[in-house]
Amino acid sequence: MSDLIFLSLVSRHSSHLVRQQYDVIVVGGGHAGTEAAAAAARVGAETLLVSQKIETIGALSCNPSLGGVGKGQLVKEVDALDGLCGRAGDWAGIHFSILNRRKGPAVWGPRAQLDRQRYREFIQSELLSTPRLTVLEGSVEELFVSEPNPEEPGHHRVTGIRLANGSHPISASSVVLTTGTFLSGSLFMGQSKSPGGRIGDAPSSAGLSHTLRERLGLRTGRLRTGTPPRIVKDSVDLSLANVHPPDSHPTPFSFLNTHTHCKPEEQLPCYLTYTTPGVERVVRESLHLNCHIQEDAKGPRYCPSIESRVLRFPGRRHQVWLEPEGVTSDILYPQGLSMTMPPDVQLRLIREIPAMHRAEIHTPGYGVQYDFVCPTQLSPALQVKSTQGLFLAGQINGTTGYEEAAAQGLWAGVNAARCALSRPTVALSRTESYIGVLIDDLVSRGVTEPYRMFTSRAEFRTSLRPDNADLRLTLKGFEEVGCVSIVRYQEAVRVRDSLQDALATLQALALSTQNWRKKLPDMRMSEVKNSLLTGMDVLRYNDVSFEMLASAFPECLSHHMEFSQRLKIEAVYRPHCNLQKKEIERIQKEENMSLPQDINYLTLPVSLSHEVREILDRVRPTTLGAATRLQGMTPAAIIHLFNYVRRICFTYGKIPLSIVKKHYKIK
Amino acid sequence: MKCLVSNHMIMLPSMFRGIWRAAVGNLRTRRTPARRLVSTCDGVQVGLADAETIFALSSGHGRCGVAVVRASGPASSTALRCMTRLTRNLPPPRKALLRSITDPQSKEVLDRGLVFWFPAPHSFTGEDSVEFHIHGGPAVITAVLHALGSVPGMRPAEAGEFTRRAFQAGKLGLTEVEGLGDLIHAETEAQRRQALRQMSGDLGRLYQDWSHKLKRCLAHVEAFIDFSEDELIEDGVLNQVDTWVCDLQAEIERHLQDERRGERLRTGVQVVIAGAANAGKSSLLNTLCQRPAAIVSPIAGTTRDIVETALDIGGFPVLLSDTAGLRESPDLVEREGVRRARERVDQADLTLVVVDCAHLPSDAEQAATFLEGHLRSVLSPQEQPESVFPAERSLLVLNKTDLLPEEQRLELDWELRRVSGLPPVCHISCHTNEGLQDFLAVLHRSVKTLCGDPLSCAPTLTQARHRAHLQQCFAALAQYQRYRDIDLALAAEGVRLALTSLGRITGHVGAEEILDIIFKDFCIGK
Repeated sequence: MSDLIFLSLVSRHSSHLVRQQYDVIVVGGGHAGTEAAAAAARVGAETLLVSQKIETIGALSCNPSLGGVGKGQLVKEVDALDGLCGRAGDWAGIHFSILNRRKGPAVWGPRAQLDRQRYREFIQSELLSTPRLTVLEGSVEELFVSEPNPEEPGHHRVTGIRLANGSHPISASSVVLTTGTFLSGSLFMGQSKSPGGRIGDAPSSAGLSHTLRERLGLRTGRLRTGTPPRIVKDSVDLSLANVHPPDSHPTPFSFLNTHTHCKPEEQLPCYLTYTTPGVERVVRESLHLNCHIQEDAKGPRYCPSIESRVLRFPGRRHQVWLEPEGVTSDILYPQGLSMTMPPDVQLRLIREIPAMHRAEIHTPGYGVQYDFVCPTQLSPALQVKSTQGLFLAGQINGTTGYEEAAAQGLWAGVNAARCALSRPTVALSRTESYIGVLIDDLVSRGVTEPYRMFTSRAEFRTSLRPDNADLRLTLKGFEEVGCVSIVRYQEAVRVRDSLQDALATLQALALSTQNWRKKLPDMRMSEVKNSLLTGMDVLRYNDVSFEMLASAFPECLSHHMEFSQRLKIEAVYRPHCNLQKKEIERIQKEENMSLPQDINYLTLPVSLSHEVREILDRVRPTTLGAATRLQGMTPAAIIHLFNYVRRICFTYGKIPLSIVKKHYKIK
Repeated sequence: MKCLVSNHMIMLPSMFRGIWRAAVGNLRTRRTPARRLVSTCDGVQVGLADAETIFALSSGHGRCGVAVVRASGPASSTALRCMTRLTRNLPPPRKALLRSITDPQSKEVLDRGLVFWFPAPHSFTGEDSVEFHIHGGPAVITAVLHALGSVPGMRPAEAGEFTRRAFQAGKLGLTEVEGLGDLIHAETEAQRRQALRQMSGDLGRLYQDWSHKLKRCLAHVEAFIDFSEDELIEDGVLNQVDTWVCDLQAEIERHLQDERRGERLRTGVQVVIAGAANAGKSSLLNTLCQRPAAIVSPIAGTTRDIVETALDIGGFPVLLSDTAGLRESPDLVEREGVRRARERVDQADLTLVVVDCAHLPSDAEQAATFLEGHLRSVLSPQEQPESVFPAERSLLVLNKTDLLPEEQRLELDWELRRVSGLPPVCHISCHTNEGLQDFLAVLHRSVKTLCGDPLSCAPTLTQARHRAHLQQCFAALAQYQRYRDIDLALAAEGVRLALTSLGRITGHVGAEEILDIIFKDFCIGK
């Protein structure tokens, strides 16, 4: 708590502690904002984080959990890039489990229930101890917009912010907006509607929304989401629900942690219960009192309110998870009961569920509608293409979920800092990370409903596993991006070298089938094979573990026991990953071919149909690779574009000829 | 997204080829004839790592004396040896050699012809290449292509792939590269039309049906992976998928083994007669085939279904179709006829747009404008303006010229010549046979141009490609079964690969489509 007090002190005396000029200003203190600010500072930028209320920095606005299937991969990747949320999860987690344990390591979903207070404290203390990062309490009234730098593409340039109290303008080279649901946000409960992005917090100023739409001419859309009522724990009859225990050995999110803060035996259980026909009846009876559900803003299909669930799939029982909110908290979070009806009806509804037949509501549920900026207007660096120095991350880009926000925040922060420090921006490919999939989906396809990560969105899921996120990203994060500390980098190098060493040893371990059978008598090996098998081949067998091999060959394998699980996964997946490699290389080649951002597609002297021109003009893909994935593109159009880009790089030297030669073997 | 199929072919040329080889390997272990094949090629390196060798009919289609089949890639020399029984030495580079060409599996002699060996880098593609100059009959070509497909490491070329490889090897200069886009465009356009043609038949329905089933399989596996931990998605879902996958595999296997597959590709130029009701389309068909193949009457809307007849125009095979008159009709049957007519026009190599002269405005200038509009409405009702009536794809036939005064006709002729961008115009009268000879000459020229285009129809190539994709699909489904209980992520990868392979015939399937099915079929509400 001492951290908190200090943070408030900073804010109280902000007027003389806060400078007038920063490299990067991050607006918003949620999952996107905190990751953005920390990442920008790690890259080396003097960074200011502005939040409306300092004590809500790092708050979990909705569910008290982190990770899951698809989302867990994002947490691992954010951690691999030295972000905060993985370590915060390890610190605050009170119930750890790996989802999909039996479905294959590529789709394992590391997940944890969190103690809200511990999570917030961790994030706040982490930010406080980050060099080059200042936190300021305040509400941003408007962005300063000026003429663009003529050397770079864009129609405007953002130069800083003005706070609502009118005190002083603060200038910066880059501004990252992570306003979440606060951009023209409205709260809904029953028939009442009030401005705001989260209950208990002041609405953000209309000035920001106005600047984005009117001054910068950005296209926006409207989305909705919701949160369930919080239930008083003591009022719930948990004996009527099914207990779901956590994993007996909690697995930490972070590659830096070997164990979690919470001891295995101190973990808390979750409870599973189900809706009844009574729930459906209450929903139907109260529809006329529920204006959120009648509005037509798009809500997520996969995280619907209980109203839309029973309306879309009537006559069924639906799961309701009762999740702990913290070690000392007396509140339960009913996952699956997001609702927007009047509070008295909410009470009637939850009491239709047996375990909650006399439950009390601590805080009622409500709905939120908010503006988002159509993300096709962003570059893969999450920079607004038309506006120099402006970056967006999180729900403002049409996503939902903490992990999606954190991932974008980190990447926007990295690029905002690089931009401010006059380094080129960087992009992650969808062939190397879920973060790349997320950002590529957003900027090249846009969103029609709140976007959430699923493993099925990643074409190269077998290569992009939670276990190897460090090898995929930490090395690159240090060597090319600059957002990873030397300590983490050295650890990743050690891991990489050990794994390589172990794999080489396994590969060199070649025995005949008979000899393998002698060494591993328990193993069921098909009789027909008469050739030599390597340790890698044998490790691929379903009933062979690395531990078995290590005990058979202690002299050369036992010192690799630390990585037994990773080696087993690597052995099984390697052939499949090798098959994907070619396709990955092709995509990367096309992604390396950047399209100039100042192309006028409508008048380009190239044979393109009107339809294709309009698509290109609307989306303005940054690379040839992104262009090929656009809906409605024809192969001929891609070839013409390719030729055009090649021609201009010959003519104007925009892309070094050596790169073109390297990628396309042109003499 | 009309170019889905071809788009996919061009942009994903290297996708999962490795898998296909794996597929071949699998099939080989399961079937005896293939095992014999391996021994045929003994002494030759079979594995050939991960390089891919492609082959295709490279000469023109139609009746011809000599056909050229070309292969490019590291397995070319293997193919040459296997098929010409050259056990020791390859022929001297770039020298013609007369050999018997045999099927490596059955040892049957397929033809006797010239073979050429072009070792890298002195070939069109810069890779090891082989050419077989064989007799031009469809049976010989099909047999040779089929034999090549059975050589390990060989697969049918995708559209434009030889050119693409040549380009990547730096074999094409800058000016030649400029034309590459147009070339590939032409190739894919031709294939798109061909694919559409096949897709509208029974075979197309079958593939679409499989693709749909696979999509559901994948959606259900993905739903189980992404949602089952939080939702009510029972294990029963996977049992359902098991059944579907099993059935599909059996179906595909049967299909691959069936040599007399349901629908043979029709060879020949597809010529379609289209136009407004009662313009004399059926009369034209009857005139051309010199028999009353279609019913003609003065009543508009007489022809309702497609009437097809095979013709020989100056030695070139032509499949002529008469279609229902294009007009708004309250009659359900006629409306369906009009829909089919539009579909047929979309798939045609050549469209004869028939216009009743008597219905033209008497002012020549107005008549020309009317004809322009009419052509557009017949050929491309909603197309983008740029691709409107390419001259070589349509002919404008002004029928019933006997009803037009001589003076008006000359005036119209003169006016039409001033309008640029119109296809060739012919005046005929099916009633008096006036102008028929000139029309036949124009038609002959067009058909000849189309037949000279090696890409307008290459049915054997297409079939070979389908076969390869179906084999990939089959093998990928085996991956599902192998990993079903061990690792669902790898099992799902199998279904995904199967769908990708089939997608190369039926069209691309994206992640969003799968998610749509998931949300339709399951109540998901974490």
